[in-house]
Amino acid sequence: MAKIVKISSRKKVYVTSKGLSNIKFELEFLKKEKRTEVAQRLKTAREFGDLAENSEYDAALDDQILIERRISRLEEMLKEAQVITKAPKTDFVVIGSTITIEMDGEVDKFTIVGRVEADPSKKRISNESPVGAALLGAKVGEIVEVATPIVRYKCKVLEIK
Amino acid sequence: MYKKPIILFNPNLPKLSKNERKVLDLLIEAGKLIVPIYLQQENNKYLGANFYPHGITKKEIEKAAIKDPSILDPYTIVEKRGGKLIATPYHIEYEKLLKPVSDQLFKAAQISNNKPFANCLRIQAKSLLDGNYEAATIAWMTSKHPYILDLCIGPIERYDDKLFFVKTSYQCWVGVLDKNNTERIVKYKDIILSSRRKVLMPSEKVDYYDKVQVRVDETLIFSGLIARTMFIGVNLPNNVNLMEEYGSEITVFKQTNAYRFKNYVWPAFNKIFSSEFKKLFTSEDIENGHLYQVVLHELAHTYLRYRNSEKNLQDLFPIIDELGASVMGIKVCGSLILKDIMTQKQLESIMIAFMARNFNLILNEKNEKSKYHYMVGGTIFLNYLLESGAVKEAGGISWPNFMKMFVSLDELASILERLLSQGTREDAEIFIKRYGNIDKLQRFKKASQ
Repeated sequence: MAKIVKISSRKKVYVTSKGLSNIKFELEFLKKEKRTEVAQRLKTAREFGDLAENSEYDAALDDQILIERRISRLEEMLKEAQVITKAPKTDFVVIGSTITIEMDGEVDKFTIVGRVEADPSKKRISNESPVGAALLGAKVGEIVEVATPIVRYKCKVLEIK
Repeated sequence: MYKKPIILFNPNLPKLSKNERKVLDLLIEAGKLIVPIYLQQENNKYLGANFYPHGITKKEIEKAAIKDPSILDPYTIVEKRGGKLIATPYHIEYEKLLKPVSDQLFKAAQISNNKPFANCLRIQAKSLLDGNYEAATIAWMTSKHPYILDLCIGPIERYDDKLFFVKTSYQCWVGVLDKNNTERIVKYKDIILSSRRKVLMPSEKVDYYDKVQVRVDETLIFSGLIARTMFIGVNLPNNVNLMEEYGSEITVFKQTNAYRFKNYVWPAFNKIFSSEFKKLFTSEDIENGHLYQVVLHELAHTYLRYRNSEKNLQDLFPIIDELGASVMGIKVCGSLILKDIMTQKQLESIMIAFMARNFNLILNEKNEKSKYHYMVGGTIFLNYLLESGAVKEAGGISWPNFMKMFVSLDELASILERLLSQGTREDAEIFIKRYGNIDKLQRFKKASQ
């Protein structure tokens, strides 16, 4: 199984070291640049007078709320993050494995990643998705059942890299 | 709205340059000129519209086509002269009406600042007069992407030929690219078509997965057949050989989605389901479900294009093909949910929007001949769900069970794919007779009025 470096005992968010540096980079950018920028916009808008009918002020305030929410979310992620170091080659599926599966007459290849780094358009599927969760620990040739209240499919592991 | 085969829309357009605006006006004028041509082809009283002599049998036509294949060419009008069937190419038959259309397109090409688009317009204009539609299709498929303006014009769709599903009807649409929605749907397309489905007859399968293009348009005009069908999405070309070489282009029309949702789908949804059930969905859920169902339908055509299915299923091909694409499109959602790409709520909304759309087709639009193939497909779909117990009916109100529905759709998708890949016309006929009985659905009539 992939070696996991434990950072915190709270709810786990699995990230690669690259994912972790992306989070840190975004957090720094928001704190140092965007926060200052929006604060300046608010200050300028206040100078226009009457805040009740000041659309520039409202827009800046909305942006400030979004930025602060994102900062808070990223800080939470950092606290919960568990960094996955490069996984040793295993004969079963772990977070970080690139796998080829057959499911419902469809052959697909993707990498299982932590939810923060999931991006299906880049073939990165979350370990918390039904298929990701069901496949963890499965070996080549193994058939696992993946189910939601509506959909129920059998999924065969064809290859693990 | 339905009297004259033309619809002018008034969308909020993205910013266009003065030149683009001028070109657009000329294209709209060209589109308007398609109306009298289509009116010469259209005739709802006859299965063969005005493509063949009225009252002629299929056998007579087939017999004559052995000696003269141009009789069953997609681009000829057939007449009886001196007891003989004679085929005249469209560009000769409608020459006088086509000349002004072509002139408008040449004018637009002359002033357009976009060279590839201007070149495409010239080829489209020329094809109207010399009948080289293949060149026009290739130019349309290859020369403009991702140009902001779009024009599709000429004899294209075959839905009015209910005798053979061969003859094409004139139509035109003019659109302006909706960049944001196009990007969103392209992402979806890439996810869906990047996995490979197992095919039933690999040697028969037309493979063009990597050559599918998608665009979402703000539509300005529909004229000719498309003004009757009011399609929300189209997937062209229809020619399998061109598709294999150049891929296909899916165009999604935002204005018709909004129109059909407001006037057909949402009212049907409100009448067919119980008030308790309806509370589970907002109008936004169903409108998005409706749009996604159309997009998935068009993408699913890619999975179901078999080389000989048109030849094997003949006039029944469009019924099986269109329903097949809709059902396969919904089936694909299964793996999207399991990969967290789609939510369960989205899948439910897609299924419910498709049900509402089919109820409306059957109960309120069954006399609209241009929607005949979809109406029969919708009947099969609803009867299949009712028979499998996935949908229960009580007092004209429908009670769906989503899990059973999904299982039934999975089965139905397999049946339809088998018919498309290896079925005969007789197989399709038996299947349609078995599930295409509209009478069984009349009990919903009371609720839908």
